Amino acid sequence: MPVLPEFSLAGKVAVLSTTGGDEAPFLAQYLIEAGASVFVIARTPERLEQVLNALERGPDSERSGDKSRGIAVSLADPGGVRRAMEAFDSHFSRVDILVNDARSMLARPMTEISPDEWDEVHSRNAKATFLLCQAVGSRMVEQGYGRIVNLISELAERGMINGSAFAASQAALLSLTRSMAVEWGRSNIRVNALGTGWFSTEDLPPEDQQRELLVRYTPLRRKGHPRDIGPLLVYLCSESCDYSTGQPVYVDGGLNAHP
Amino acid sequence: MLETLSMEDKVVVITGGGTGLGLAMVRAMARAGASICAAGRRQAPIDAAAAEVTALGQDALAVSTDVTDSGQVDRLMETALEKFGRIDVLINNAGAVQENVRKPLWEITDDEWNFEMNVSLTGAFYCARSASRSMAERGKGKIINVASGFGLRGGRDIYMYCCSKGGMIQLTRVLSFNLARYGITANTLVPGYIPTESADESMGNTVPRSGDLLPIGKLGKPEDVGPLAVFLASNASDYMTGEMFIADGGGLAGGIAPTGHDPVVPLEV
Repeated sequence: MPVLPEFSLAGKVAVLSTTGGDEAPFLAQYLIEAGASVFVIARTPERLEQVLNALERGPDSERSGDKSRGIAVSLADPGGVRRAMEAFDSHFSRVDILVNDARSMLARPMTEISPDEWDEVHSRNAKATFLLCQAVGSRMVEQGYGRIVNLISELAERGMINGSAFAASQAALLSLTRSMAVEWGRSNIRVNALGTGWFSTEDLPPEDQQRELLVRYTPLRRKGHPRDIGPLLVYLCSESCDYSTGQPVYVDGGLNAHP
Repeated sequence: MLETLSMEDKVVVITGGGTGLGLAMVRAMARAGASICAAGRRQAPIDAAAAEVTALGQDALAVSTDVTDSGQVDRLMETALEKFGRIDVLINNAGAVQENVRKPLWEITDDEWNFEMNVSLTGAFYCARSASRSMAERGKGKIINVASGFGLRGGRDIYMYCCSKGGMIQLTRVLSFNLARYGITANTLVPGYIPTESADESMGNTVPRSGDLLPIGKLGKPEDVGPLAVFLASNASDYMTGEMFIADGGGLAGGIAPTGHDPVVPLEV
């Protein structure tokens, strides 16, 4: 099966930051499969353990076992980011790739969202990503190379009932993607967003999924699985992704093209 | 997971496959294992492209086609089906850039408007209509439309090109919505400025010669679209439909503008 060398991440060092979501172990696995070493930053110890355990059991465990490391820390304040970078520095000497999976969900009616809840969602999703991009990006600027991928929800483009706080945080990530791409473009850093629709890590047959109205409303009639974004994630992290920057690429079974 | 990026056993029909971005896509897809049917108006460039594919060990066919003639388009698809037995991927890449790509509104003739809309948009519609029939019967297929950043923004005195490319993006959305039930996906590849021989010839001094005004500070190369075509044409993009993949050096994200504009303004107290 010929896979072009353009899709290789061999020799690259990636930081994968996750605020939650069961897709994190898959994303780490895909980066490792493409040849990268991965340092995981998770918001909770449970999530970190889940990701690192998956890598130990995964098909590339021989390589990933001694190459993948991580830390559980909140990135919502500069102190947490500093601790994360110190932990990273004890294992690696350069960073080529940063993947942010900051999609902590909150769904509540507009009139019921407390200021603290708004702050928490924006701090986990937007502020944590901003602070980590600042820390990692400054190193990338110095070395004159980098690839940043922000996973976002397609609610960055659309509204949803009860989705105001979350959707606004995703739109912030998309906007951040554009400005970082422009500001760091001449430092050979590319920043793109990978947008998803309705995803699940469960592998239910399409017939079972289609009992849900939203699945029947999705043109491809199934939910997405993390494997549906694996190759795209790898491409956006690769050296050959040189002319795409500041853009969202949506993988959503056709939802966004829908009325 | 990465094996989904292989194009082994895939049959691709690509219009405008002999030159420029089309040729770069053909090369990348053939390296990834695809068989190629290259279409184009002129025989020599598509013959050369087919020879390159054959040299890489893949099957190839070159069919001279004027995409503005739906009869010729139908024959193109029939020829591909006869030789390969199926069409997995259609890439609508043929486009026309007239010498007078920039022309003031009141000087554009009916013929000039029609010519460009026919080649760039109507041709893609004919190809999609024709190729999707056999795809629908098999319950599987991919259509990739090649647009341009000018499909999303206006350009000074660029009427037909902007409108036909904007039309390509909408054609993709409508195709994706209606063909999903037949297992067919449709996506748009949106390149920014990428100098090629034909664009240089026809656009003359109206294309930028350097990337000074682009956020990344350089222009793209035809090879930049190779991996994009492979991603969009392979099983790796099976859950993506109705969408765009933009490769434009940050032109749409930040604008094609003097990049020296970097004000620092303190937060008001």
